[in-house]
Amino acid sequence: MRLRKPIVALSTAGLLALAACGGGSSDSGSTDTSKDVNKDTLGNTGNGQDPTAEGPVTIPGAQKGGTVTVLTSTGLTTPIDPSDLYYTDTNGIMTSLVTRSLTQYRYDEKTKQMILVPDIATDLGTPNSDYTSWTFTIRDGVKWETGDPVTADDVAFGISRGMDNKTFPNGPGLYYSNPYFATGDTYKGPYTDKGKLCTCVTVDGNKITIKMSKPFPDLPYYASFPAMGPIPQDKSISDPAKYRQHPMSTGPYKIKEYTPAKTLVLERNDQWDPATDPARTAYPDAYNFKAGQDLEKTDQILLADTGEGQTTLTYDDVLAQDYRKFKENGRIVLGGSPCTYFISPDYRKIKDKEVRQAIAWAYPYKDAILAGGLIPDVTAIPASQLMPPGIPGRETYNAVPGHGDFETDPEKAKQLLQQSGNEGFEIKFLWRTDNPINTQTKDVLIKALEKAGFKATAVPTTEAKYVEDRDDVNSDINYRTYGWCSDWPSGATWIPPIFQSTDLKTVGFGTNEAGFNEPAIDQKINDVFSLDADKQPAAWQALENEVMTKYFPIVPQYYTGVAQAHGSKINGHFDDNTLGTPTFRNIWISQ
Amino acid sequence: MTTTSAGDLETAELAGEHASAVELVAGRSPTQIAFERLRKDKVAVVCFTIVMLLVLLAILAPVITNAMNIYWDIQDPNAPNPSEVINFDGYPLIGPPDHGFIWSHPLGLAPRVGTDNLAFVLYGLRTSLIVATIATILTTIIGIVLGLLAGFSRGWLDRLLSFTIDLFLTLPYLLVALAVAPIIVSRFRNNVNDLGKVQAASLILILVAFGWMGLARLIRGQVLSLREREFILAAEVIGVPTRKVLFKELLPNLVAPIVVATSLALPGFVAAEAGLSFLGLGLTGIPSLGKMISDATRYYSDYPLYLWVPVSVVAILVLTLNLLGDSIRDAFDPKTRE
Repeated sequence: MRLRKPIVALSTAGLLALAACGGGSSDSGSTDTSKDVNKDTLGNTGNGQDPTAEGPVTIPGAQKGGTVTVLTSTGLTTPIDPSDLYYTDTNGIMTSLVTRSLTQYRYDEKTKQMILVPDIATDLGTPNSDYTSWTFTIRDGVKWETGDPVTADDVAFGISRGMDNKTFPNGPGLYYSNPYFATGDTYKGPYTDKGKLCTCVTVDGNKITIKMSKPFPDLPYYASFPAMGPIPQDKSISDPAKYRQHPMSTGPYKIKEYTPAKTLVLERNDQWDPATDPARTAYPDAYNFKAGQDLEKTDQILLADTGEGQTTLTYDDVLAQDYRKFKENGRIVLGGSPCTYFISPDYRKIKDKEVRQAIAWAYPYKDAILAGGLIPDVTAIPASQLMPPGIPGRETYNAVPGHGDFETDPEKAKQLLQQSGNEGFEIKFLWRTDNPINTQTKDVLIKALEKAGFKATAVPTTEAKYVEDRDDVNSDINYRTYGWCSDWPSGATWIPPIFQSTDLKTVGFGTNEAGFNEPAIDQKINDVFSLDADKQPAAWQALENEVMTKYFPIVPQYYTGVAQAHGSKINGHFDDNTLGTPTFRNIWISQ
Repeated sequence: MTTTSAGDLETAELAGEHASAVELVAGRSPTQIAFERLRKDKVAVVCFTIVMLLVLLAILAPVITNAMNIYWDIQDPNAPNPSEVINFDGYPLIGPPDHGFIWSHPLGLAPRVGTDNLAFVLYGLRTSLIVATIATILTTIIGIVLGLLAGFSRGWLDRLLSFTIDLFLTLPYLLVALAVAPIIVSRFRNNVNDLGKVQAASLILILVAFGWMGLARLIRGQVLSLREREFILAAEVIGVPTRKVLFKELLPNLVAPIVVATSLALPGFVAAEAGLSFLGLGLTGIPSLGKMISDATRYYSDYPLYLWVPVSVVAILVLTLNLLGDSIRDAFDPKTRE
C-alpha cells in the first residue's frame, strides 16, 4: 500500500506493535532507543482472525462525548472515494469511522495486534476448496446514513465499481480486483463499460459470491479495503464526480464537511447500530481533521497540552528533537508499520551481485537516518530482509554474510569491489536540490560511498520532479530508494510487487524499482500462487530467501515505526500496525 | 591632486565659516580631513577594529578550522559521521546543550548532522562578506554611472533613467526575489557544477537589482545642483569634453556622498543576504548565517546557543558596519563640523 507521511527524510509510513506508553525506564540522557519498540511483533498484523466476533463493542470505563482534533501535515491529499482509496492515512480514517467493508480489523489490547473480524459480512467468508470462489453473507440492520438498508446488491455494485481503473486510477482494484476476479482482465467497470456489472459477483438474497480467475486465499484481508464495501446504486448519488466529495456513510460517523488537503469534519451517524459492528466503538461525538499543519506547531500544541490540545492527536511522527519530551510525559504511541525501505540498484546497470552487496556494507545506515531526522530503532528500525517481522512464515536469514543491524564497514565493501574487479564503480543517484535535508543526506551518502571505494555522483532534480525522475526507466541513474508497505500480512503482497519482472518499455518499473528480471523467479512466483493456502507463507519466505541470497537485487535500509503523540484526555490511541495509523475505532475522551 | 577645483571650492567655503582654521586646514583635501576626523572618533575606531577582526576571521577561516580540526561540511572525509556525535533525538552527544562546554567544539555542534558551529559561522561570515562586498561594488558602480548620466543629461535620457529608478523602487523587493530566484535556479538544475555559481550569481543579481536606485537618485540630485555651479559652467564654456566634465569635475565632488552611501549599503546587504538565505533563496551546499538561523529556530527551546551564535554574528557585523557608516557620514559632512 502506498503511504502518506510528511517528507522528513525519505518519506515514511506506518503499522502497530507496542502501544503502551513507554514503560518505566525513562532516563533522559540515554542514547539507547533500541528497547523502545518491540521488534519481534513489528508487522504482526492480523496473525489473529476471529470470524465469530460480534458487536456491540464496549471499552470498560470509556466515556461518551467530546470532539477529537486530528492534526496532520501531508494527510487528506489523496482520494477518499472508497473505490479510489489506496493510501494508509485515508484508509485508516475512512474504514475506522465512515465506511464499512466486508471485513475489518479490531485492536486487541492483550497482544497489541490487529485481528481480522467481520464487518458488514457475518463472518470472514466461505471459500470453495481451491479458493476460487468466496461467499459472504451480509448482515441485517446495516444502514446508509439516509436510513436505507445496505443490501448485497449495493456491495456487488461497490465491488464492480472498484474495478473501473479508468475512473479510479488510484484504487487497489487495479492490483487485486482485476487480476484476481474472474473476467477482471476484460471487465472495465460500470462507468467505462456503460452500466454493466462484473459477472464475477453474483447475489442471492443476502448472500454475495465472488468468483476468482485464480486462487485467492487472502481475500478476507482484501475484503477490508473500502473498495470491497457497498456503494449506493442510485447513479445520482454515487456519480464519481460527486461521490468523492461525500462518500455515503455506513459507519458511526458521516461527513459534515470535507475540503481536500485541508479539513475533514465528521459528525455522528445516528443510523449506525453498534449491535451490528464487531469492532467500532464511536465514543466521541465528532472528529475534526486538519491537514497541512506545520510539524513543529503540532508538536508544540501537543507538548503544551492545554485547551483543545488535550483532545488532539496526530498520526504524523513527532520530530526527533521532541521525542525525549514526549517519552517523558508518556503521551506517545510507538509501534511498527508494515513498511520496508530499501535501495533498488538498477538490475540492468549494476550487473554484479558483489557490487550490490558492497552497497549493503558501504551504506551509512545510522548517519543517513540521523541526518534525515528519523529516530534510529524507533521510526527507523534495522532491516536486513524485505518482509518485516510478523509476516506469517517469516524466518530470519542473512543474505550478506556477516552483515549485522545498521552495520557499515567500508573495508568489507572495498574488498568485495576489489574481488569482483569493480573498484571505483560509479553510483549515480538523485538529489533534490531544493530539499535542504536531502542535500545533507546526499553529502552523507557520497562520503560513505567514496570511503568504500565507489565513485558517487549526485544527479540533481527537484522535490516536484523527484518521483517522476525516479520512476523513469531511462533516467541516468543506477541507484534508487523505494519504500513498500504490505496491504495485509502475507508474502503475496511483498514478493510479487517487488520481484516480479515488468515490461519496462510499456509499464515501466511498476513497483519493481530495481528492474529485477529473472524468468526463473517469475515462474516460481506463479508456482507459489498455485500452492495450498497453508503452504504459501513458508513458500513466499523461501522464495525471498532464494532471491536475496542468489541475486541480492535490493538492499534493505530499515523498517518504519511510528511515534505518534496525543493530548492528555485522549484514550485508546494505539498503533494500528496494519496501517501505521491510530486505532480510531478505540478512541475516547475522558471528560 | 587632480581635484583642484573641488578642493578650492570646499576650502573656500570652509574659510568662510571658520576663518581662524584656514592655516590649519590649508593644503589638505576634504578626504584627508575626513580621515583625520575619523581617527579621532572613538566609536569609529572601535567599530573599524571589530569589522577588521571579523574580516580577518573570515579570511582566515580555512586556517582556523584546519588548526582546530573542525568542519562545516559533512562530506569532508575527516569530519565526524553523524552517528559518532549525534544522539538518537538529533542533539549532539558532546558539548551543548546536553553536556558541558568543550574546547574542541567551543560553539557546539549542529543538531542532526553534527557539523561544527564555529566552522559554519566562520565560513558563513565569509559568504556574507563576499556577497555583500560584491553587491556593494556593483550597486555603487551602477548607481554612480546612471546617477551621473541622469543628472547631467537633461531631457529624454534623464526622464528615461528617472522613470527606470522609480520603476525599480516600486517593485516589491521580497516578492520579486521569492519569485525570480527559483526560476533562475530551475533553468540550471541539471548541471550540478554550475548550480552553486548560478545560485550565487542570482542572489547577487537580486541584491544589486534592488540596491542601486538609492545611490543613483542621490548622485543625480547632487549633479543637478553642481551642474549650475560656476566651475562646471566654466569648464563647459572653454570646451572641456563632457566625459572629462563628468569624471574630472563632477565625480571628485561626489566622493563624500558615495563613500557615505557605500558604507551604509554594506551592512544592508549583509542583513539582506542573511534574510534571503533564511527564506531559502540562499546557496545550496554553501554555509550561510541566514541558513543557520533558519535551521536553528526549530531547536531554540532546547538548544538556544545554536541560534544565538549566528544571530549575534550578524547583529555585531551589521551594527558595527552601520555605526562605522554613521561616523564616516559625520566625518565627510561639512555641516556636522564643529
